[in-house]
Amino acid sequence: MKTVALKKARTAFVALCCAAASASGFAAEYLLTVTRPNNLHIVDPAKRQVVRSIALPGDGVPGAIAVPKDGKTAYVLTNRMESVIGVDLDTGKTVFRADFSTPERRIKGFFAATVSEDGREVYVHQAPVVLGRSEYKVEDTYIAVFDTSDGMNAKPRRSFPAPRRISLLAPTGNPDHLLALGWDMYLFNTKTGAIEKTFPIRHWDRPGIGEPDVLAMWGTFEQARALSTPYYVAKTDVAPDSPEAFKAGLAVFDLDAETLKTIEFENAQTAMFSSVINPVARNEAFLVMNQLTKIDWESGRVIKRVPVEQTFYAVNISGDGKEVYIGGALDKIAIHDAQTLEKTGEIMMPGGADQSIGWMRVVKR
Amino acid sequence: MKRLRALNHKAHLLEQAAQDGHKEEVQLMSSVVGCTTTFDPGWEVDAFGGLASLCQPMEADLYGCTDPCWWPAQLADGLNTARDWTEGKNSALRDWRELQTLFPGD
Repeated sequence: MKTVALKKARTAFVALCCAAASASGFAAEYLLTVTRPNNLHIVDPAKRQVVRSIALPGDGVPGAIAVPKDGKTAYVLTNRMESVIGVDLDTGKTVFRADFSTPERRIKGFFAATVSEDGREVYVHQAPVVLGRSEYKVEDTYIAVFDTSDGMNAKPRRSFPAPRRISLLAPTGNPDHLLALGWDMYLFNTKTGAIEKTFPIRHWDRPGIGEPDVLAMWGTFEQARALSTPYYVAKTDVAPDSPEAFKAGLAVFDLDAETLKTIEFENAQTAMFSSVINPVARNEAFLVMNQLTKIDWESGRVIKRVPVEQTFYAVNISGDGKEVYIGGALDKIAIHDAQTLEKTGEIMMPGGADQSIGWMRVVKR
Repeated sequence: MKRLRALNHKAHLLEQAAQDGHKEEVQLMSSVVGCTTTFDPGWEVDAFGGLASLCQPMEADLYGCTDPCWWPAQLADGLNTARDWTEGKNSALRDWRELQTLFPGD
């Protein structure tokens, strides 16, 4: 009974927050994250607490999270990357489910899942493998398109070929476009399936610069509408033992202008896993792993760097650009002041469960 | 191939297919899918030859690697073959002592 009462109270709490926010015309912000074994959490960063936890159906472990512009439904990649679950954030009910695999064909979507801004279509980059009796047969990869109105047991309405190694998808400001990040960035037309433009990263041709190494597994583009990722690259025109021989850089794709900028900002000296652009001061980016780093990516310099208490995989930021959220890996979201980078708060995950590979998204209501 | 000799029926078929030009092309899977194509060295040393850019503590990276099958040589493949390796042990920091060693027959 206590649990039921608590759940009702939490539901009302979230509903009240949303109603108050609507009445004042001010959008409240919530963080969404996931933990093992298969839970989605709604976090109020202002109150420094988890306001609702939703058990996802099926097998974990949840990872990528995507939310359309209205912020009503969260789509979570889970079930060992073989399903997308859509959850109504007001009721906690599962309203959409797409299971990719069959007994004969194992299909994974490695982080690359997103939803259109109008919430009508879910896109998943899929890698199928036919499971034979004595062999596996790797099939070509593609992007599957689901209609969210298909609800439970949704099947792809259509699909189009896509290169391998896609790890992030993001809708752009053009409703017909979808950005895919793999070895390069590809701008797909979701109606025709054609790659309209390729932005070279792995295949860039820059004298004195090698092929960059990118670990882009966290979608953090909703606040500044800019998909960004750190990268590392060797300079080939200096001595291998020179401090200049290995550089850290940032790739930023403006989702409205559909332009890519890459810039090296320091000699590589520490690992950084994910990054986010400040929506208020757009020249600023925050990057995280064992340190929290603030850079000016327009001029290419480090502004400030502080150590953090543990490894964090994922970073995000408040809409006013004042607070930086770092999470993923273990069981904590830490909050840091965007100006000083000092820690100002933390939120522990229910039951001490790990976020592991989970994303951390901001939703406005 | 001088030191390899087909012994069973399937091996003969493969040998014949190769001679006839019917050998199917083998290709790498997509990144870290079913299972990994990532050849990172592991936890022993970071990209700079030190330890500072390894995950801190190591447990912070434990499930982050087994869940997406990042380093299957060092960890169980949580995506496919060892889905229950961490079942009921949702905090790597507190539960790591309960994780069991896996053997090929498991």
